[in-house]
Amino acid sequence: MRNFSYLRPATLDDALRALGDGERRDVLAGGTTVVDLMKLGVVDPDGLVDITGIAALEGHEIGGDRLRFGALARMADVGDDAALAAACPALTESLWKAASPQLRHAGRLGGNILQRTRCPYFRETLYACNKREPGSGCAALDGGTTDLHAILGGSERCVAMYPGDWAQALIAFDATVVIRSRDGTRRIDFADLHVPPGDTPEIETVLKKGEIVTAIEVPIIPAMKGSHYLKARDRESYAFASASAAVGIALDGDTVGDVRIALGGVASVPWRARAAEDFLKGGPFDEARAREAGRIAFADATPLEGSAYKIELGASVVAGALMTAHDRARQEG
Amino acid sequence: MADTLDTRVTRYEAPRKVTGGTRYAADFMPSGMLHGALATSAIAVGEILGTDTSAAEAEPGVIAVYTHETLPDHRQPKGFYQGGPGTASFWPMTGTAIRYAGQPVAYVVAENAAAARRGAALVSVEYEESEAIVEMDPGSSFLVEAEGMEVTKGDVEAGIAAAAAVVDETWTTPFQHHNPMEMFSATAEWNGERLSVWTPTQSVRTTRGGIAQAYDLPETAIEVISPFVGGAFGSKAGLPPYTMLTIAAAKALGAPVRLIVTRAQMFTVAAFRPESVQKIRLAATTDGRFTAFEHIEIGQTSRFDPVVNPGTHMTRAMYASPNIHTEQRLGRSDTNTPGFMRAPNEMQTFFALESAVDELARKLDMDPVELRRVNDTKRHPVEDVPFSSRSLMECYDAAAASFGWGERDAAVGAMTDGDWLVGYGCATATYPTAVAPSEARVRMQSSGTALVELAAHDVGTGAYTIMGQIAAQRLGLPLAGVEVEMGNSNLPLAPLSGGSVTSASAGSAVHVACLNVAADVARTVSGMADNPLSGLDPASITLDDGMLKGPDGQRMPLLDALKATPRGEVSATGEYAHPDLTTQALRTTYKGGYGVAGPVTKNRAMFAFGAEFAEVRVHRWTKEIRVPRLHGAFAAGNILNRKTAHSQLMGGMVWGIGSALHEHTVVDAPRARFLNANIAEYLIPVNADVREINVEMLDERDDYVNPLGVKGIGELGIVGTAGAIANAIHHATGRRLRALPFTIADMV
Repeated sequence: MRNFSYLRPATLDDALRALGDGERRDVLAGGTTVVDLMKLGVVDPDGLVDITGIAALEGHEIGGDRLRFGALARMADVGDDAALAAACPALTESLWKAASPQLRHAGRLGGNILQRTRCPYFRETLYACNKREPGSGCAALDGGTTDLHAILGGSERCVAMYPGDWAQALIAFDATVVIRSRDGTRRIDFADLHVPPGDTPEIETVLKKGEIVTAIEVPIIPAMKGSHYLKARDRESYAFASASAAVGIALDGDTVGDVRIALGGVASVPWRARAAEDFLKGGPFDEARAREAGRIAFADATPLEGSAYKIELGASVVAGALMTAHDRARQEG
Repeated sequence: MADTLDTRVTRYEAPRKVTGGTRYAADFMPSGMLHGALATSAIAVGEILGTDTSAAEAEPGVIAVYTHETLPDHRQPKGFYQGGPGTASFWPMTGTAIRYAGQPVAYVVAENAAAARRGAALVSVEYEESEAIVEMDPGSSFLVEAEGMEVTKGDVEAGIAAAAAVVDETWTTPFQHHNPMEMFSATAEWNGERLSVWTPTQSVRTTRGGIAQAYDLPETAIEVISPFVGGAFGSKAGLPPYTMLTIAAAKALGAPVRLIVTRAQMFTVAAFRPESVQKIRLAATTDGRFTAFEHIEIGQTSRFDPVVNPGTHMTRAMYASPNIHTEQRLGRSDTNTPGFMRAPNEMQTFFALESAVDELARKLDMDPVELRRVNDTKRHPVEDVPFSSRSLMECYDAAAASFGWGERDAAVGAMTDGDWLVGYGCATATYPTAVAPSEARVRMQSSGTALVELAAHDVGTGAYTIMGQIAAQRLGLPLAGVEVEMGNSNLPLAPLSGGSVTSASAGSAVHVACLNVAADVARTVSGMADNPLSGLDPASITLDDGMLKGPDGQRMPLLDALKATPRGEVSATGEYAHPDLTTQALRTTYKGGYGVAGPVTKNRAMFAFGAEFAEVRVHRWTKEIRVPRLHGAFAAGNILNRKTAHSQLMGGMVWGIGSALHEHTVVDAPRARFLNANIAEYLIPVNADVREINVEMLDERDDYVNPLGVKGIGELGIVGTAGAIANAIHHATGRRLRALPFTIADMV
């Protein structure tokens, strides 16, 4: 790891100043991604701006019509909140199934949504990687092992997978991201935060230099109560998803009034399966239709040799998640 | 005196370990110590054209950057297959050749470890790259040319022709890495022509011998110190390049140097479990009697060493069959030399064999436990010697009862629980009992204390406590009165801690040393007046756990006798060698090698046995495979400490879950590299994967294996687990998975 400067401002304004003064500085919150990548030599900022001293960014609250999560809220604290679990199980389940207890105690939500890919070719500097070093090539697509790679949203330059869990629940329920810079505050849809790789895989989000995510807000809707996050992984804890789904259902009598489906472990960015939602919306619900929705969610998938299993698996996970969500929605109704 | 053996004794160093008070090799920091770091090869095969070290040398804190051209007096021991302790015969940083990815290409020394690693990252090497292949091609394998590598008994083809059912399948197992929690490290300090080396090793004596041979120094000039080892599993068995490089750097700089290898580098600078292909044909009559067994194992090895993990030696010992054919083959690829990883011959071969037995049982519509009973044997099927003891079916009966095997619905897919498909499976475990020669020194004092000294190792198993227990039992002392010193090459010879030999071998030497202490005391007191043993022929006095006994019922506690002697203190060395140990094997051990008696001698076949039962669940939607229950029953002679033995067997079964479901060193084929060289992506079971594990240790008496009657248990537990899980997956889903590990991707 290279030497770097370290700043720990007490206010957001000081942090924004430190980020905007021309040095190559990154934000440090829980540190579970950025410190890891610095040790690997994948990122090498001149300095880190530790924002964990900014009390205003902590905590989360369940309001009358929306949920609000400070950027410094800990994954563990939010995942353990029983009231939130009752309001929207998918939000707490996706945190609970992420990482290990140690990482959940360290990791903060603002950093969590910005977690970098686990593509092994990105994380080892020996390999060509367009994301790490634009224009150098893609070792994964150059005959590499691809069982951890995206089958949705990849490009000819990059098939790295977005590895997070919580983001799937956020995109499913139309979250908003609050962003501060020295120019003021802006709000964007969570769905617009991440950028598919396309020709510029080095650009992962719409965040600009000098901007900090300060909060995440989610409007409260009926489909949250009937929600579920189902994660398939090769070990019972502390593993990235082979495939996952965050879903929510609100029933209108016997038909599906509202349905949300988001996919994890399969796409280059947090992924909303709108065609599958459209198929279910306004219709009856049963296992056959849940399975069909799963198939539709992966209709446009473009697998590689190693990731081909994710199509059938992902469809099954979507169907299974919908079955549980439907049970929960029925209990609510 | 209460018994200390065959009890549940908590290892006495445990509180120190869990409070950080134990000093491991890298915790010893000689005054003035500098820090080393390795730079490793970015290509797999090729030549170094040139190395630019200027940026590394300019890095603040960096003191020296050595390449193959600039490291002075870098010596090499003989490789394992040349009769030395070296981990490979090809030695990095001796020339321009690159023969595997991650091969050391430069050694950086700095004032602190961070600067050394920064310097290593700045070393710039120009290569000419050649084609490399990391996975072997089984099609171009070759038969190992050594005795016993191909065995034929009867006529396998005739046996197959006469059979009612035949299984003819191929199983594969992947590269695996040991990943002990304690990192590889070496610290070297020269004082003139004397050298001290602190390194976590499974063999201080062979390490010392290898260094002495390489530097042409007397062994007495070298001290190798390894008081505790934080997990080894075979990865710390040999003398590796990183140790020799550190010794050379310390010599060049005239200052002690410590190197701690990074986790990623641990995947390339030392050994690993080679990938394998297992071809088995197994045939039986309608009543289940095997008519033919053929096993061809192809193990991967490096381009430069013929590493043989002879698994067919174990499988052909397992079941009776009139017709047997086994072949031990190798396939080469561009890796460092593989080695030995916990049950190196048994894990992958018994996954295959026990899967084949289960497949045959299905074809015959037989209970797989009964199929094994039909083919159980008290004689080695090939070598025509009896087993010294064999309690396989007792293990099956015990484990089947505790597991509830009889309550299953045997039909495939018949058992479900909510969204889970449920399956039961079982498999045999076995591990050879090999016994190495060993020495130990015991000094007993009239204060009621004793010091036990031997160059054995505690690789995390509780060996200190075991050696203490043996001495306490024999001398009639409380365990707290016995101090044990191990892990130093200056101590009496003890074997490499590999092949589960330590308790049987080093423990027997402690036993003999205690008998010699007693004989010495008996000699003195029998010549003295006014005690129960006065005037007896000392040769007629025997030791019975703390009591000296005369031929006619005379009794005198050993400690009382010692107190009566003028010196009040006696020291004795014990030398132990199994009667079946060949002179050549004895010589090998004393020359710094690994010579053992067994598992098959001219008189007996010596193996421990066990049976493992697994409950597997496969999720309907996520396709996840989980193992909520594992029951194992094992018969391994006397159990010296039921607590540490339980941990060894349970730990083995946890490894078995890992082998079945998680462990897999993934390769990047185009660049011929190991891809997941970290413990985030190289999965091992976490707590949540390990649910109910039931371990039963059966009583078994075996006076042939060694004076303590013990068989090794460190590796036994892992052997049956993958097979039991594979067979349970079939029961749950109807799928026969024949490639480790079994993952979600296999279930769609």
